[in-house]
Amino acid sequence: MAVLEDDLTLVFTALADPTRRAILERLSHGDATVHQLAAPFAMSQQAVSKHLLVLERAQLISRARVGQSRPCSLDAGRLAEAVSWIETNRQVWAERHDRLAAHLETL
Amino acid sequence: MTELTFRRIHRATPDLLFTCMTTPEHLSHFWGPDGTTTPLENITVDLRPGGAFETTMVNQSDGSAYTMRAVYLEVERPVRLVWQDVDSDMLTRITFVDLHDGRTEVVTHQSRVPATVASPQAQAGFVTSLARFAAYITDGARA
Repeated sequence: MAVLEDDLTLVFTALADPTRRAILERLSHGDATVHQLAAPFAMSQQAVSKHLLVLERAQLISRARVGQSRPCSLDAGRLAEAVSWIETNRQVWAERHDRLAAHLETL
Repeated sequence: MTELTFRRIHRATPDLLFTCMTTPEHLSHFWGPDGTTTPLENITVDLRPGGAFETTMVNQSDGSAYTMRAVYLEVERPVRLVWQDVDSDMLTRITFVDLHDGRTEVVTHQSRVPATVASPQAQAGFVTSLARFAAYITDGARA
């Protein structure tokens, strides 16, 4: 499953917010409703719902259509892809600077 | 959009580091990822806004080649260098910050990050990944 460029942008944007990261961490322990997700945060269910919409658009979570509660669940694969890209990219630059430092020694 | 940042301090002047980043004879010594080489003849540097920056990295184990094609957008010796990937539109902005003690901090910002290839990961690693991501985008990576 390759991710389109715009999709990855949505993932990065969604993850840039600490509240949304906290919501994802909560969901890593199990599915939860909006009500359950709002409880530990000092914010309204409406505010949490807005964050959930951003996460849903980025496909970091999915929401079941079960009655009124619509429990949220995590889609860990999408985050893994984003982290994988960042880690690979960081590694490339880290090694590049290691070699540059060694090269500078020879000048 | 999130901007990825990588920082590294070198014991050299901004001018020397700028030269290293923009001269094929220097780049061939350090550019390619580990396990690859970037021979001198595989590097094109046309150091002006609109000029080409192209490197073809050769995998040492199987001989396969990967070409990065970019165009310089800003060339401001010795403080700033900006190029844009032709294929992905990704922007790479390198800033050379003189620390005035013989050292220079090289700050690499990247934006418009491109598509990635899937790497399935178990749910168990999720929180670790999340923490790593948060650390990366809030602090930048200091190696």
